[in-house]
Amino acid sequence: MSVSELTLLVLRLGFLLLLWIFIFGIVYALRSDLFGHRVRKQQQDAAASAPQMAYVAAATPVPAAAAPTEQFTARPSAPPASSGPERANARNATRLVITSGPKSGTEFPLTSDSVTIGRSGDSSLVIRDDYTSTHHARLMLWNEEWMIQDLDSTNGTFLNGSRLAVPTPVPLNTPVKIGATSFELRR
Amino acid sequence: MPPSSNRAAATDAPARPQGTKPGKVRRLHLPQKLRHLELFLLLIACGINAAAVMLVQLGALGHIDTTLVLLGAGLSVLVLGLHFVLRAVARDADPFILPIASLLNGLGIAMIYRIDIANGDAGWESAAVRQTVWSALAIACAITVVLVIRNHRVLFRYTYVAGFIAVVLLLLPLVPGLGREVSGARVWIGIGSFATFQPGEIAKIALAVFFAGYLVRNRDSLSMVGKRVLGMRFPRLRDLGPILVVWALSMSVIIFQRDLGTALLYFGLFLVMLYLATGRLSWVLLGMALFLGGAIIASQTLEYVNGRFTNWLDALNPDVYGASGGSYQLVQGLFGLAKGGLIGTGLGQGRPDITPVPQSDYIIASLGEELGLAGLFAILALYLLFVARGFRIGFAGNDDFGKLLGVGLSFVVALQCFIVIGGVTRVIPLTGLTTPFLAAGGSSLVANWIIAALLLRLSDTLRNQPRLVV
Repeated sequence: MSVSELTLLVLRLGFLLLLWIFIFGIVYALRSDLFGHRVRKQQQDAAASAPQMAYVAAATPVPAAAAPTEQFTARPSAPPASSGPERANARNATRLVITSGPKSGTEFPLTSDSVTIGRSGDSSLVIRDDYTSTHHARLMLWNEEWMIQDLDSTNGTFLNGSRLAVPTPVPLNTPVKIGATSFELRR
Repeated sequence: MPPSSNRAAATDAPARPQGTKPGKVRRLHLPQKLRHLELFLLLIACGINAAAVMLVQLGALGHIDTTLVLLGAGLSVLVLGLHFVLRAVARDADPFILPIASLLNGLGIAMIYRIDIANGDAGWESAAVRQTVWSALAIACAITVVLVIRNHRVLFRYTYVAGFIAVVLLLLPLVPGLGREVSGARVWIGIGSFATFQPGEIAKIALAVFFAGYLVRNRDSLSMVGKRVLGMRFPRLRDLGPILVVWALSMSVIIFQRDLGTALLYFGLFLVMLYLATGRLSWVLLGMALFLGGAIIASQTLEYVNGRFTNWLDALNPDVYGASGGSYQLVQGLFGLAKGGLIGTGLGQGRPDITPVPQSDYIIASLGEELGLAGLFAILALYLLFVARGFRIGFAGNDDFGKLLGVGLSFVVALQCFIVIGGVTRVIPLTGLTTPFLAAGGSSLVANWIIAALLLRLSDTLRNQPRLVV
């Protein structure tokens, strides 16, 4: 039995095609890694969260000064340099509470692990709206203190209204705003 | 309802206080979804492998016989076995690593089988049969790694043991009676006349574990202090110890084992992990200057290094081409690649066997001849995806040791590809390293499957399950 030249040519091209289909299959499966997650539709959540947002706005204390940015190597036992609220550290902050946005009112406990925030599915806190980057920001413990670091996001991370440039300590009960969502660290 | 009572702890649903709406937390990646995707891709990969073997038989023999049903099916059964082990013990592992590695391994076996046909080898003489047996052993090792190492943090405890093992493995080929010299390089060990093995391949894994552990422990002194010169912070003189030790190690590999590629591999691995751990470009510049200096001195003083450089720079010169140990092999490989053109001669229809060692060092040239530029780029894309998945593991995790290890291991694969394929295509001087997963060679297969297993384990333990989805 022998095979004609034409059959071999067709098979050979078919094989190359199959190889590339496999590769593009993988790339297609990876698309959320390459292009970010799709934005979630938020209409159905807006109505539900409206009353909670009002409550949060009334309950949230507004600290006087933004936290100092230059002192993240300070000992955790040292008193805060500014007159602002107490900084969140591994001992006094136990939970992260969402204070505004579609899931306002939900919370989860803080552990010693850092908390990654972004639209990507492998973030610890996944926020899917138009304003959040795939890997947006990160909360981490430095010298036992909770610091927030903006991961070069497009729309920025706001601590108590001012946009973050460098990793900054997070005071307790102070809103951190990412996209349409704010959260606080609480006891 | 006060907001504070609305707990959404993803991990302990029964511990929620009253008043909680169920279904607050959605899992983004259902674990079984990942494994189903893996199975789907794996079946395609096995199909492509079988098709490759069939095309080789059609092209070279003109008919399909059952010899290779054994080989093709053997590999498929093995990788499916690994897949089901992952279903049980690493449900969140990356779904792309296993299919990619399987496809590369299968393409390699098909190409080696093709060379066997050209050489008229069959039975235990056949390199393809041996490669399949080695694949079985390698995948068995991978399954063992996934089963035994349930959490990569275990490896952190054995940092210095890993370093010791790496040095012992590197020194083994120099032991009289045990070491073997194959085509000039003393990187083999063998007992009696059989079971030759390159311990250096395993040493690269031990080195990656050691570097990761060492750098996580000591990076502060390597990254925080030093003088600023020209806008870059250079390390203190006394912190240069580690880089000089690794440099001396790679230089001794060049001098005593006469193996340029391995030396470059180890040093490159250390440099990249050092850069990752400290984030300072000055280390990379220092390291590259050190290695380039060493390589230039070696090329002036060591005859074999000098020969490699001549073959590279002056390959098409008839004197160099005809000389013993000259550029004959390199140029034949280039001719083969040129013959392949855009879509190749077709599997089984080229003459890759003209090039010396077409099934191991030159398997890329063989594949390039029969699959053409389109096929070669497909293979490079597979490596790219494999390495990208490894880097991705390093990006996602919270644990510094795991990050460094993941990126280090995948970078080793990338650098090895660059050194081999760069050598074959005359981008850099040719050095004898194996193409990961593709080339004939047991030690390389075992080492790379262990790397794949470690990456699978890392991706499972480091994958962040979201605690809250907004």
